[in-house]
Amino acid sequence: MNNKLLRHRPVVRAVHWMTAISTFILIFSGIGQMPMYKRYMLSELPGLAWTADFQATLVLHYIAATILVLAAIFHAVYHISLKEFTIIPRRGDVKESFLIIKAMFGFGEEPPSGKYLAEQRLAYAYIAFSLFLIIVTGIIKVIKNFATFSISEATMIWVTLLHNIGMIMIMIGIIMHLVAFIFKENRALVPSMFTGYISKEYVKHRHSIWYEELEQSNKEIKQGNGEITNNNAAL
Amino acid sequence: MLSRISRRNFLSRSTKAAAIIGAATVVGLPKKSKAKENDNLKVYGTMIDLTLCDGCAHLDTPACVSSCKDKNQHKYPQPIEEIQDYWPRTTHEDWSDRKHITDRLTPYNWTYVQKVKVVDDKGLEHNLSIQRRCMHCDNPPCGNLCPFGVHNKTPEGAVVIDTDYCMGGAKCRDTCAWGIPQRQAGVGLYLKVLPKFAGGGVMYKCDFCHDLLKIGQMPACQSACPKSAIVVGEKSEMLSLAKARAKEINGYIYGEEENGGTSTFYVSPVSFDKINQALKDQNIVDGKPGAPHMKPNVDNILDSTKGYAASVLIAPVAGAFAAGVLAHKTLKRGDEDNEQ
Repeated sequence: MNNKLLRHRPVVRAVHWMTAISTFILIFSGIGQMPMYKRYMLSELPGLAWTADFQATLVLHYIAATILVLAAIFHAVYHISLKEFTIIPRRGDVKESFLIIKAMFGFGEEPPSGKYLAEQRLAYAYIAFSLFLIIVTGIIKVIKNFATFSISEATMIWVTLLHNIGMIMIMIGIIMHLVAFIFKENRALVPSMFTGYISKEYVKHRHSIWYEELEQSNKEIKQGNGEITNNNAAL
Repeated sequence: MLSRISRRNFLSRSTKAAAIIGAATVVGLPKKSKAKENDNLKVYGTMIDLTLCDGCAHLDTPACVSSCKDKNQHKYPQPIEEIQDYWPRTTHEDWSDRKHITDRLTPYNWTYVQKVKVVDDKGLEHNLSIQRRCMHCDNPPCGNLCPFGVHNKTPEGAVVIDTDYCMGGAKCRDTCAWGIPQRQAGVGLYLKVLPKFAGGGVMYKCDFCHDLLKIGQMPACQSACPKSAIVVGEKSEMLSLAKARAKEINGYIYGEEENGGTSTFYVSPVSFDKINQALKDQNIVDGKPGAPHMKPNVDNILDSTKGYAASVLIAPVAGAFAAGVLAHKTLKRGDEDNEQ
């Protein structure tokens, strides 16, 4: 592992995949709740008759929502508790993202980055905001489904509209997230979400500030030994 | 980095993080104060006495049906001339050429009378006339599951479709235990969006004359009934009335338990199992839209999925707890590594 560095701890990877898988199920079952699959005859394909059954898609939506809410709250509480804020956007990230994307197309030099590129921080904020919107409006919709609660139409029109807008936002977010891997420059990051590790060379080259921080903190820990260990993934 | 967090601070930080996120979520929660505003208002219900209704044998159309038509005429759909099919399907629901139908529920007929012959346990034949319309459920799946939030329960207890914003997906009809709401194509908001690809018109059904209830007047069908077979009033009173009447005639009640509870209580001298069977046998419930059954104890989709809904609400607590435990473990490991 000497030529590799830990970028994502197992718990971070688990949260990522819980979020990803539950979001896909939520989009699929949510579109079923719209209702769409009967009209578009998806439910007439073999084995897919259940997609037109509102009870089936509702149960699926609830189960996936439970996983998503659990993962999202876990993510927030966990990283706030550990004071890990490297992925939060900073002042100047928009301008810096522009420079990074320009550099990917061969114009100019890419600015040095920490653990996350400016564009990654912005993408995170976009997805986090979309999920926040979906979760808050979704929870209101769940509460309303219990007999003891009745919410006025004036509120529900907005809640459902924002929930539907949130779905479109997250779909755009997922597409952008995947489009990023069309660019060769970003592909070295893919293994990070599977094994947790990425190449040290890549870190040195593209995340030079993070690399220096890792080295620095490693020196403090190991007192002079330059080898970077896996404890530093938190940075 | 991890070593910078002292264990003493840790618990307070985890708790704070959970509290902030919890608070952010709670801000969006519905406020129960809405109900307070209407404290002086009544929640209404209906008692329909099947021993009194004769289906207005002296009239071509029962009085409840014609009064409903008169009262709601101005709300009926006025679709465009050339209605598109629901692509990729080659059909659409158009009732505009059958406006005068009164033997089922349509967008142009929100109540009708099912006339059925039922034989009771003693071999006695009953000619029942049953006024059918929306039951105005306590926890209406039609309204709660509307993807656009435009189908809701008013403080008076009426379940009302906002026809200005309805997209006509007909999910309310599919989730209603009786398939009450009916669709008219070629009208409504969907025409302004993507009429070929999404939406299907507007859904229509009885709105319990909530505009009249609001000003203390009675629904049109109640006022028109010549036999006083339809009684509308405070919901709890209507249920007591239904129970007393059922006891008196040794009869049965429909609507108290069905679909998790409704605001409409039918009282009958014959069991509703028998009535439901007779409705089917006599092809009055023909399986086509707008001919509701009378099956006892039908389930509410929101009740059968309640446990899953609850799990969504418990998830934040479980997530915060797991995060606290794992963050603490990570922190401890970091400390131990540093102590080596």
